[in-house]
Amino acid sequence: MSDAKRSEIIDGLKSSLPVVLSSMPFGMLFGALAVKNGFTPFEAVFMSGTLYAGASQMVGLELFGTKTAPWLIVLSIFAVNFRHVLYSAVVGRLFRPWGSVRMALAFFLLVDPQFAETERRREHDIPVTWRWYLCMALPIYVMWIIDTWIGAAFGAMIGDPRTFGLDFVLPVYFLVMLMGFRKRRSFIPVVLVSGVVAVVAEQTVGAPWHVSIGALAGIAVAMAMPINPEDDNPSGETPR
Amino acid sequence: MSDIFWITVAAAIATYITRAGGYLVLSRFQRIPRRVDRALNAVPAAVLTTLIAPSVLKGDWREALVLVLVALATLRLPGTAVFMGGWALIVALRSLGP
Repeated sequence: MSDAKRSEIIDGLKSSLPVVLSSMPFGMLFGALAVKNGFTPFEAVFMSGTLYAGASQMVGLELFGTKTAPWLIVLSIFAVNFRHVLYSAVVGRLFRPWGSVRMALAFFLLVDPQFAETERRREHDIPVTWRWYLCMALPIYVMWIIDTWIGAAFGAMIGDPRTFGLDFVLPVYFLVMLMGFRKRRSFIPVVLVSGVVAVVAEQTVGAPWHVSIGALAGIAVAMAMPINPEDDNPSGETPR
Repeated sequence: MSDIFWITVAAAIATYITRAGGYLVLSRFQRIPRRVDRALNAVPAAVLTTLIAPSVLKGDWREALVLVLVALATLRLPGTAVFMGGWALIVALRSLGP
């Protein structure tokens, strides 16, 4: 094996390590909560292996618990994952030289940290090769599935979800995620309107409709905000 | 197969579409219309807020306090640390008494 190939493999494995470690508690938490929400361990592992998008898997769990209509669950997961559209628009063309099969697989593995690292390499003119990409992506994917399985086995042993505060971890998790978006345009108006409308809708129309009604109200506010001609960054993030 | 299984299959397909779709669709456009871009940008914050909002009212002062502290802590600290801290705090507060 040439030195270049070896260093691509080592680079990839090195990039995967912090992601593997930091996603471990979330994978196990997902597995445990899934079982508490009526999933079988197989269904939990199947979801991790096919959806492979932590935050949206948690959203899915929350909605399964409330007897939400199936199409609404799928739509909510789609909405939470919509950010990936931007990722693949940005780095997708780097995959083109690898051929369509590898490209299709690369898109499947394009989770947030994988995108961040790929984009970082592109910015610094470091080649993005299939070998590097797979060496980073595969350990993250395999460990996510194993973590879920461990969590599911553990969750099956816990009787009352209030033990260890498991009934309250999802709101905390969602809040941390929500605050991650605080630099986006119209963040405060969107949050206020979605929050108030969701609470009112829950009291009147009832769950699970408060999710879609509240979310649509927030999105409508964002669309109605006046457009300032000089702000011209398509991602909507505040420039750093 | 159960409902959970089939919903997962559909959600997995939807997720894959978001991961491949940006390259297949958006890269053909010069730019996305502004209002559409605004709407897409607001989706995660709007959806997440609706998932959190009811639990603010459902719990007692402990849950409310933890959520306020968590929101403030994210302004300074990394997300994972805040999440773990918030989780530890609710367990500690609940163990204190009724």
